[in-house]
Amino acid sequence: MGLETQHSDAPGVETVAEEGRYLYCIADAGEKVSLGEIGIEGNEVYTIPYSDICAVVHHCPAQPYHSDDPEVVKAWVVTHQVVVNAAWGKWGTVLPLTFDTIIKGESGSTAEQNVQDWLKQEYERLKGKMEKVRGKAEYGVQVFWNPEVTAQHLVETSTGVRELEEEVATKPRGLAYMYRQKLENLIKQRMETKAEECFEDFYHRIRKHVDDIRVEKTKTAGQDLQMIMNLSCLVYRDRCAELGEELEKINQMEGFSVRFTGPWPPYSFVESA
Amino acid sequence: MEPTRNSHATLVDLLDRVLDKGLVIYADLIISVSGVPLIGVSLRAALAGMETMLEYGMMTEWDEHTRAWESEHRKKKEASIASGER
Repeated sequence: MGLETQHSDAPGVETVAEEGRYLYCIADAGEKVSLGEIGIEGNEVYTIPYSDICAVVHHCPAQPYHSDDPEVVKAWVVTHQVVVNAAWGKWGTVLPLTFDTIIKGESGSTAEQNVQDWLKQEYERLKGKMEKVRGKAEYGVQVFWNPEVTAQHLVETSTGVRELEEEVATKPRGLAYMYRQKLENLIKQRMETKAEECFEDFYHRIRKHVDDIRVEKTKTAGQDLQMIMNLSCLVYRDRCAELGEELEKINQMEGFSVRFTGPWPPYSFVESA
Repeated sequence: MEPTRNSHATLVDLLDRVLDKGLVIYADLIISVSGVPLIGVSLRAALAGMETMLEYGMMTEWDEHTRAWESEHRKKKEASIASGER
């Protein structure tokens, strides 16, 4: 650790504080190794061990990565994931850090020392988190429906809706407009109820195959698709196939489709430390 | 069905995880990362064509409702596990 303190004319806090370590993940191994120059902007990625765990880091200035160019940021984020993935492949169990987490050197101790102290201080909690995700991977599950297909189905099968639709046809133009509004509202309401029923049904069916679930906010999808469910699932590696089978059943339902992504390192199941 | 992690098709899923999730450290020795949410926002804005922005449309209330339902459901389940019923 000579680098930080070698300026003899400024032997104080300042030189030390300029240094940082960018953290990719905490891994379940107590070794000090280099993973090569695979880091953000080609930095060498290596480990700082404490006991039987280590932090996977690169050496950087103590300031956050920032850029107004989305392509640059995108490349950083992708590289972050590439490194976490490499560590995950090598050691099997990792706790991924969120992007741009940097530990700095401070008041006489180096960044390297601070990383080690932090590992020591949080050791029990980190080990606990590792136990939670050991042998498991994260998968993204998003369920979509085609609102037109669903609405059409509702018109055909739901008595209230069908009757109202028939009524619209018999009304004179001015009145028919009002009725059509009423019909649209009714369909919208019924669809929301239907979406809730589907959510609960799918949730219970998926829950059986996974260790843990996070319900994420739904997002806007393509033009003729609407996302009704967005989950992150923590799954035992050997149960991924059965989850896939369950999802295939949902995917086969008329008007429904499922997006199944992963395996991801357990980003959604490590939370704060 | 098989899960996919094709790098192009799942870029948004990756960004969601790396930017919004992952272990967050709260400690004095972590440098200020106040710029980070901005990075996320500007990146997403730039990639808006990929529909990464959350939009609160017709299903918002419903979405909140189901999330609330899930959270209740989880609490009940945890409570029952804690009390040894299960």
